[in-house]
Amino acid sequence: MENSSCLAGRQWISSQEDFSTNEVLTKISAIQQSHCMRCGARVYAKLPNGKFYCRDCIELGRIVEGDLLVRNLELAEFSRMKNGGLTWHGSLTKRQSAVSCELVKNFNQRADTLVHAVTGAGKTEMLFAAIAECIAQGKRSCIATPRIDVVNELYPRFKAAFNTIKIGKYHGKEHHEPRLDQLTICTTHQLMKFYHAFDLLVIDEVDSFPYVENTQLHFAAKNAVKEDGVRIYLTATPTNDLLEKVKEKQLKILRLNRRFHGGLLPVPRALFFYRPFLLKQKINPRLLKEINAVIKSGHQLLLFVPRIEQIPIYVSALKNDAQFSSVIVEGVHAMDKNRLAKVENFRQGKSQLLVTTTILERGVTFKHVWVIVVQADDEIYTSASLVQIAGRVGRAKDDPDGLVLFCYRKYTQNIRNALKQIREMNK
Amino acid sequence: MKKCLLCGQDFIPATSFLRIFSFKKFHEQCLCQHCLAKFAPISREHCEICYGKAAANERCLDCLEWQKIYGHNLLRNHAIYRYNDAFHEIMVNYKRYGDYVLREVLQELCFEQLKKIKVDFYVPIPTSLEHIAKRQFDTVAAIYSQLVPLSFFLAKKEGQGAQGERTRSERLESKQSFLVKEGIKADVNKHSVLLLDDIYTTGRTLYYARDALQTAFPQAKISSFTICR
Ligand SMILES: [Zn+2]
Ligand SMILES: [Zn+2]
Ligand SMILES: [Zn+2]
Repeated sequence: MENSSCLAGRQWISSQEDFSTNEVLTKISAIQQSHCMRCGARVYAKLPNGKFYCRDCIELGRIVEGDLLVRNLELAEFSRMKNGGLTWHGSLTKRQSAVSCELVKNFNQRADTLVHAVTGAGKTEMLFAAIAECIAQGKRSCIATPRIDVVNELYPRFKAAFNTIKIGKYHGKEHHEPRLDQLTICTTHQLMKFYHAFDLLVIDEVDSFPYVENTQLHFAAKNAVKEDGVRIYLTATPTNDLLEKVKEKQLKILRLNRRFHGGLLPVPRALFFYRPFLLKQKINPRLLKEINAVIKSGHQLLLFVPRIEQIPIYVSALKNDAQFSSVIVEGVHAMDKNRLAKVENFRQGKSQLLVTTTILERGVTFKHVWVIVVQADDEIYTSASLVQIAGRVGRAKDDPDGLVLFCYRKYTQNIRNALKQIREMNK
Repeated sequence: MKKCLLCGQDFIPATSFLRIFSFKKFHEQCLCQHCLAKFAPISREHCEICYGKAAANERCLDCLEWQKIYGHNLLRNHAIYRYNDAFHEIMVNYKRYGDYVLREVLQELCFEQLKKIKVDFYVPIPTSLEHIAKRQFDTVAAIYSQLVPLSFFLAKKEGQGAQGERTRSERLESKQSFLVKEGIKADVNKHSVLLLDDIYTTGRTLYYARDALQTAFPQAKISSFTICR
């Protein structure tokens, strides 16, 4: 291999049988016992020649029965660095620094940790010490998250906090040659390209779409760290599989239930509706009353609806309603070409009412915003996404409380769980 | 319950008598209603020649260009969906990554419409052998071979890249890349032929295919069908 150290801790597919292996370069069959060895998924799809292939990790290059997975087991070496390269001089709250210290301790004791922190708790800053500890010991770390936009958001923050460290950034929309980086920030999907690479792996927003209770993520997270490597899971809404591991003492748990301004999460109000929310392009009058109350209180409103195609119906019904004649209403969804502009307008207060789908539930922060979820009983909302939506509210220090309204016609398990989780977090 | 081939979620497949009797190989849907709703059917207003974007009974910009070359001898194309993000994504997964099972989704998107078009010969646009070797399947034939009897009259000249990897102007400037196979025994002249492809982008590919066939069979009545326009 030319310049193999760049590929230390990485794995890739090869269809060549006559690949020469050695101590650091190993090969295994990519599909074994009907399972893909790169992503762990069961393979069920077949090509016309009768060979199985894996659909679940196909964007990384199709794995077909008979292919080999080549693994570079070379140990990457980095020089030890005083302070771990941390150039960040901000300060943590008492609670944040307690979590931060525990994470360093757990890293040194080789214990995996689940950090259950509410939205807005300042999770990123709490990681700095543990990452610095890892770098100080000349070891290799990685921060992975399911979403590309979160990768793009984290990268500059870590670059600023560790401005002398080479940080690698990898996701499916950006292509460059693999490098050897002491700190890697990537999507959880990209983790499947690593094998026994990291001493510390942080998985941020572990609950977020599309990996909820996904075995692929756990498989990749297990493979990507060294045998004595350490994992940190960050989440606002822990999934059952992680809580199960806490119970079995495989995972330590750290809770941070106060947001950086010390406020509690607003507990959503659940409101039963007897009649449909939308009938013949008209909005249910009770719902209109609730919407009007928010506008009158002087708050901006995020109105969540479950489907993209409902957005224009709600927007035009609201625009045609005389009581909202002075209100600027906009609708936005994930594939909207003007999405960024509309979100920015709302952030700046140029529009008062934004009708949207779940896509804005994460990573987007508005101040002074109240939220109504229409059809909170729809199957599209999980308890995790309902908790996240509630987390949009009360994010300003001077206005920490606010309204979150879950409108439903059928009280679902997901609504119940969301309310329960929020109450528990506030205890 | 069935797993949707696009989103992986469980759903209850709708079965209707029409579906069962019009196409026996389809017992069940393979994509859920939410995924189906992401595809945009072409509305009634479309180009009278090729289903492109145009007001009703008018012609699209592509057809106006083809008119300069072919005059009245334009290729009539039937299409079902508009190109959008959902279609882009499925084609990337199917063609670039080689996710063969997605042919079932593409079949589901088109079989009801295709069945309404009765012709004597269904001719798929061929894929280069190099691409077939790489993906282990022929992307166009894989969609249609389970829906209609195919006649493989066309072959692709080797050594030319795929249209999908080219820009719009590169596509339009590309050269004739099809040949009619030798030794076709069927009496194609005076009969109707439907060319089959996945997407009509500029029409360049389909016009070349039509030209090649028309030269070999001057009296054949040739039109085309694509899932997307
Ligand atoms: Zn796989
Ligand atoms: Zn689906
Ligand atoms: Zn046209």
